Amino acid sequence: MIDRIILVAFLAGAPWLAAMAAPPAASAAAETVAPHPAADLKVDLRPATGNPDAPRMGDRLAFRSTIRNAGTTPVDGLIAWLSLVQVDPGHEQPVDLEDWSAHKAIAVAALAPGAEITTAWPMRLIQSGRYRVVVSAVSRTGAALTPSRFVDFTVQPKPVVESGRVLPVALGVPALLLGGVLLRRRRS
Amino acid sequence: MSPALHPALRIARKEAGELVLGLRGQLWLAVTTAVLSGFSLLLVGSIELSLLDNAQVVYDMAGLVTALGALLALISGIDAIGGERERGSLLPLLLAPVRRDSILAGKLGGPVAAWGVMLALAAPYFWAVGSTGQNMLAGMAALLALGTPVVLGFGFLGVALGARMQSARTALSVALTGLVLSASPVLLGPSLRQSAIGRVFDAVNPFSAALNGFDAVIIDSQGAIAQAGHAAVATAWLAITAWWAAAAIRRLSN
Repeated sequence: MIDRIILVAFLAGAPWLAAMAAPPAASAAAETVAPHPAADLKVDLRPATGNPDAPRMGDRLAFRSTIRNAGTTPVDGLIAWLSLVQVDPGHEQPVDLEDWSAHKAIAVAALAPGAEITTAWPMRLIQSGRYRVVVSAVSRTGAALTPSRFVDFTVQPKPVVESGRVLPVALGVPALLLGGVLLRRRRS
Repeated sequence: MSPALHPALRIARKEAGELVLGLRGQLWLAVTTAVLSGFSLLLVGSIELSLLDNAQVVYDMAGLVTALGALLALISGIDAIGGERERGSLLPLLLAPVRRDSILAGKLGGPVAAWGVMLALAAPYFWAVGSTGQNMLAGMAALLALGTPVVLGFGFLGVALGARMQSARTALSVALTGLVLSASPVLLGPSLRQSAIGRVFDAVNPFSAALNGFDAVIIDSQGAIAQAGHAAVATAWLAITAWWAAAAIRRLSN
């Protein structure tokens, strides 16, 4: 309805009416960042020393990122976060880090020119597969995010349920109980 | 040992012997192991389980054991008074020179012993399923610390209902309705309990407290200290039901 009023008002040569009928322009969802000199951030990501060579489910890995302001002006409102994607054929998907890591993002109020911040990103390996991890950084006014290079790793599977343990217990405990009952009944 | 404790111990020994070694108790323990075996066998052959899937299974198993223990404690608690009344053996018990508190303490001997046996029987299942995952020992400790007050609280509740209601069947139907309501979080996931009513229910429900504690310890790898709130709810439940059962036993005439 409002759209029709605006259209009719414009066609009628009454832009003031169109302005009155138009909804507020400051819609957060529709807001686009005006072109701004991109924050000159450099993001580097590397595996931490001491990571296992062939990590298995349950192992812990750590990555170390360094975010440097390579520009000449301070970078305000810096946010950096870790992302993980699984890249096994047929299982390509982003991974929810909730269960993998309690340390998923950092926020820095300001990063001076030439300054850098180093962050350790610990991670517990929950599921087997091939993964790529990346750290991305944005500033309050930067026009685009700055990603690090990907770091790839493979998590070897580990059997979390061993049939060799389950079967003897699942069959043996009821059998022992039943045997005990029958023995007692025979004795009595 | 206080002399007044002897009658309680004697009653407790009798109740425990009847419940754990009697046919009814043996059948119940067989059912418990059958349920745990069936649950464990469902996992055999699963090769793509993640660590969290495994932790979820251990969590489910802890909830299952608590529910089975609470059910047994509830039934045996009702039978301890209501069953005695229907068998005509309550009056001799009340006329015996035994303090009512000692009767109550002794009558809890059955559920306590049965719960201990259930925990012992559940231990190999936890090992079989959870030893290759995470937080198995912490989960068993949480089951002991949080499950015990919940289960014994249902035992006290059964005693109180058995004492207050003249019909054991009525007491049983009321108690089972309450248990089903309280244990509903076993089937309803946390996401289904996020409404305002669900949060209030979770905050006061001892079963929810135990399950949320299991969840925090087994799945989220939280420490024991962080479970003080859950332990407080479970302990409050135990204290309230114990007080109610003691009051009901004191008023008992036949």
